[in-house]
Amino acid sequence: MKFFAVNGTRPIRLSEETRKFAFESLNHKYGKDTWNTPAVSMDDYDNFESLTPLQKYDAMIAKISSTAPIRICEGEKISGAATLGIAIRHTIPATFNGDTLYSSISHLTIDFETVLKKGVNFIQKQAEEALKKYKGTEKEMFIQSCLHCIGCIRTWHNRYLQQLENKSQYKANYENLKNVPFEPAKNFYEAVQSIWFTFAFVRLCGNWPGIGRIDWLLGDYLEKDLADGTLTLDEAREILAHFFIKGCEWIRGEECGSGDAQHYQNIVLGGIDEDGKDTTNQVTYLVLDILEELGISDFPTTVRINKNTDNKLLKRVAEVIRLGGGVIAVYNEDLIIESLVEYGYGLKDARKFANDGCWEVQIPGKTFFMYIPFDSLQILQGETLANYNNDISFTDFKALYDKFIRDLKSTVENLITTRNTNSFICTGVPTRDWNWKPNIPCTVVSLFEQGCIEKGASYLEGGPIYNIFSPHIGGLPDTANSLYAIKKLVFDEQKVSFSELMNILKNNWEGYEQLRQYALNKYAYFGNDNDEVDMIAKNIINDFSDICDNASSYSAYNTPAGISTFGRQLEWSPHRMATPYGKKAHDILSGNFSPTPGTDKEGATAIIKSYCKADLKRTVSGAALDIKLLPSAVNGENGIEAIISLITGFVALGGHFMQLDIADAELLKEAQLHPENYQNLSVRVSGWNARFVTLNKEWQDMIIAQTGNEF
Amino acid sequence: MRVADIQRFCMRDGPGIRTTVFLKGCPLRCAWCHNPETQSNKRELLYYETKCIGCGACGVCNQNAHEFSDYHTIQRDLCIGCGKCVTECPTGALEIIGKDYTIQELLKIIEKDRAFYGKNGGVTLSGGEPFMQSEEAFLLLEQCKKKGIHTAVETCGYFSSDILSRAVPATDLFLWDIKDTDSQRHKDYTGVSNERIINNLILADSLGAKTRIRCILINGLNSKEQHYKNVAGIVSRLKYCEGVEFIPYHSYGGAKTVALGEIYLGSDKWIPSKGQIDEAKKYLQNKGITVL
Repeated sequence: MKFFAVNGTRPIRLSEETRKFAFESLNHKYGKDTWNTPAVSMDDYDNFESLTPLQKYDAMIAKISSTAPIRICEGEKISGAATLGIAIRHTIPATFNGDTLYSSISHLTIDFETVLKKGVNFIQKQAEEALKKYKGTEKEMFIQSCLHCIGCIRTWHNRYLQQLENKSQYKANYENLKNVPFEPAKNFYEAVQSIWFTFAFVRLCGNWPGIGRIDWLLGDYLEKDLADGTLTLDEAREILAHFFIKGCEWIRGEECGSGDAQHYQNIVLGGIDEDGKDTTNQVTYLVLDILEELGISDFPTTVRINKNTDNKLLKRVAEVIRLGGGVIAVYNEDLIIESLVEYGYGLKDARKFANDGCWEVQIPGKTFFMYIPFDSLQILQGETLANYNNDISFTDFKALYDKFIRDLKSTVENLITTRNTNSFICTGVPTRDWNWKPNIPCTVVSLFEQGCIEKGASYLEGGPIYNIFSPHIGGLPDTANSLYAIKKLVFDEQKVSFSELMNILKNNWEGYEQLRQYALNKYAYFGNDNDEVDMIAKNIINDFSDICDNASSYSAYNTPAGISTFGRQLEWSPHRMATPYGKKAHDILSGNFSPTPGTDKEGATAIIKSYCKADLKRTVSGAALDIKLLPSAVNGENGIEAIISLITGFVALGGHFMQLDIADAELLKEAQLHPENYQNLSVRVSGWNARFVTLNKEWQDMIIAQTGNEF
Repeated sequence: MRVADIQRFCMRDGPGIRTTVFLKGCPLRCAWCHNPETQSNKRELLYYETKCIGCGACGVCNQNAHEFSDYHTIQRDLCIGCGKCVTECPTGALEIIGKDYTIQELLKIIEKDRAFYGKNGGVTLSGGEPFMQSEEAFLLLEQCKKKGIHTAVETCGYFSSDILSRAVPATDLFLWDIKDTDSQRHKDYTGVSNERIINNLILADSLGAKTRIRCILINGLNSKEQHYKNVAGIVSRLKYCEGVEFIPYHSYGGAKTVALGEIYLGSDKWIPSKGQIDEAKKYLQNKGITVL
C-alpha cells in the first residue's frame, strides 16, 4: 500500500485497517460499486406525470431515501453513503421512463453549524413554525416539502440504524448514529458522524455541497473530549480519517474531461472566528496529518492565513504542500475579510467566510451563489478590435483602452441582465440548458441554507440571506498583455502601424515571424513584476469591479466581481485569434489570474508581485493565482522555508487565493505514458484537484504546459 | 558594478528565498566552471544557436561581426560588445553578458522581493568572484545590511587578505568554495594554487565570519578520500562554520561556454555518481561535520 507523493515520502500514523480502507477507496472500490445502481426509478409511481414539479421532487426524494442501496463498508467508523451513480453527474438520481428530471445544486457550503449544534430536529421545528405562518399561502407548498424531506432523512437514517443494530462489530457506529444528525452532537465522534451523515444525504440526492470550516466546527468537541479523557488524539485522527476516506466513495478512476474528483467538497481550515479569535486547534493539525499520510485530494483544502498566523501552522502547511498533489491552497483572510466588509457584509459574517466548494468566497449556510464566466480576450478581439479589422485604428493607447472598457461594460451589463431575466425574477424561457429557475425544486439543500424556511422560498428562489451572481472575467492576463504589446509595438516604439498590426494578427502572424518573436521575447509580460503591464491589469480590474458594483441598480442579485477561467482557456481557444504579444490563434493561454504559460521568466516571487499589484479587495468573489514549482526547487529544509516565505509574502503583499502545486513536467509526461503507475497522482487544476490520469489528453497537456517554475 | 545576471527566487544560494547577483570577473579559470560567462570582467556576446531563426536582424552591426553564409557565424575579434545586435535580435539568441549597474539600481532590484525574504532570506553576491569588485561589493553589502536584508557572498576565497577586514562585518554568511585540497591539482585545473584560499578562510573565521563550505565534487579528480579528509581537517579548525555542502559537477556550463564561442574543457565523465556523493557526505558526517 503506497500513497503516492510527487516529492518525499508520506509518514504513517493511522492504523493498518484505516490505511487499507483508504487504499481501497482511492482505488475505486466504492466508486465502481456506485455505478451498479445509477438511480431509482419513478416508473411505478401512479400518475407521476400529472404531479407538479415540487410534488415530483418530493416523490423522488422519498423513493431515494427509502430504496437507495445501504452501504456499510468493512470496518467503517462512520456511516451513510451516497450510493446512486447518477448523483456523481450533478443530477438527482431518479429517472422516469429512463430520463433524469432535474439537475441538482452545487457551489454552496451548507449550514453544518446548525446541524451540529442544534440538530435537524431544530430545523424541523423552524419549518413547523413557518408552516403556521404560511398556511394557505403559495409558500405553504415549499414548507410542506421541507417537512417531507426531513421525514425522508429520517427514513434513510432508520434504514442505517436497522442495518447496524444487530451487528456486534458495528455497535459503536449504531450508538453513535442514534442521536445525530437529529439531535445536537454531544462529542467529537458524534459530531463527525453528524456532519458526514448530513453531507452524505445531500449528496445522495445529487447535490455537491462544500464542507467548509471543519476544524472550526469540530474543534470544541475534540477539546472537551480530550480534557474529559474520553478520547485520545490518535483515536480522533482515526475517526476523522474515515470522514476523508468515505469522501472518496465517488472516485471511479475513469477519464472524464476535468477529472473524476471534481465534486466541490472543499474544506477550509484555520483563520479567525466571528469575534476575531484564532480558530486553529487540534482538528486543524489532524486534518493536515491525514492529508499528509493519505494524500487524499478529494477534499481540496484551503487554509486561511493572516499576518499573525502561527509559524507552527505555516510549517505544517508547507510540509504537506511539498509532498505534491496540490491538496492545499491558501487564502489571505486579512484581505478577504476587509473586502467582504467593504462590499457590505457585516464583520461577523465576513469573518465566517468559506467557499462555494471551489475557491469563490461565500458565507457558508447563508448564500446562493452562481458565477457568470466570460472571456475578456474575445471582447478585445471581437469587439474593440472587431476581429482585427484594418479599418480600426486608435490614435493613442488611452483611446484604445477606453474603448475596450466600454465594450467590457456593455458585455458585463448584458450578461447580468440576461441572467436576471432568465433566472429567478421572471418566468421567461431560459436560454441555457443549465436551468436555474423556480420550477427546479431543491428542497434538500434549502433545508440547510439560512433564510429559506424563514422566507418560505427555496435556494433557487432567493431564499438564502445572500444571493450572488458573480461575473468572472477570464483571459485577463492575456488581455493586459495584448494591450501592452500594442502600446509598445505601435505607440511607443512604432515598430508597426495600427492597421498593419491588425492585418498581421488577422493572418496569424503569417510571414512576420521576426516581429512575432520580437513581441514575444522583448517585453516582460504579466507575471514578471513589470509595473507597466501589471498596471494595465490592475486598471482593468478596477474598471471591471466598478461595472459589477454599479450593477446593483438594475440587478435583483448582488454581482461582486471575480477573476477565473477554471480551465475554460481550453474551450475558448478555438474562438481566439492571434494575440499582439506573439501567441498564435487557438493557443491555450492563461488560467485564472496566472501568467500566460511561457511568458513568466522571473520565477514565483515575480509572479506573486505582479498578481498582488492589483487591488484584489475589489474582486470580492475571488481571484485565483496558480503557481507550480518543481520538486527540486523545494527540497530540503530550505524548501519548507521557501514555501512559507512565498505564502507570507503573498499575504503581506495583498494576495487573495493561491494554489501552490509541486509538479514536474517530466513526471506528468511519464504518467501520460504509463497511467497504470500513477493512479493517485493528483494535480491542482483550479479550485479542484484531479487525479492526473483521469483528465483527458487536452487537459493533461494544458497542465504540463503550466508546469515548471525553474529558478 | 558589472553584473552577469540577477536571479530572483533562488533557493540554493543560502538560507530562505534569495536574490542572487552574479558579478563579472573571476581570478580562477576552473576547467569545470558552471558559470563561464562570469569569468571575464569584459562585456561579452553570447550566441545561442538553437534560438536563432536566421532572420539577419543582427546585420545592423557596425563592426560587421555577424556573418551569414551557410549559417550564422560571429567574428568575435570584431565584436566590441556594444549590444546593438542584441537589441534587434527578436528571439533572444544573442545576449550581452555584463551590464553595469549603480549600487542604487541594484538595491532597487534586491528590494523587489523584500516581502519574501523573511528573517533568513536576502541577497547573495555570487559570480565570478564578488570581491574582484571589492569596493562596490562592500558598499552594496553594507547598504543591504542597513536595510535589514540578510547578506551572503559566494566566494572563491582568492583575494588579498586586506579585503576581509571590511568584508566580514558586511557579510552575514560566506559560501566559501574549496575546489580542491590538493595544491597541485588545484593549480592545474583552476590556474591558481589553493594556499591563499585556505589561509583567507581561516583568517575570515578568526574575524568571526560565518561560513558554509562549498565543495565541488568531480568524479576522477577530487572524489578521493584524501580530499574529504583534508576538507574535514580544514573545517575542524573553523569556529563559525555551519557545515559543508557538496556540489556535484554538472555540464550545464558547457552550453554557455559554446555560446561564448569557446571550447569547453569539461566532460560528462566528471559527473559524480549518487554513490560517490553519498560517500563524500558520509565521510564528513562520520567526522562529526554537518553536511548541508
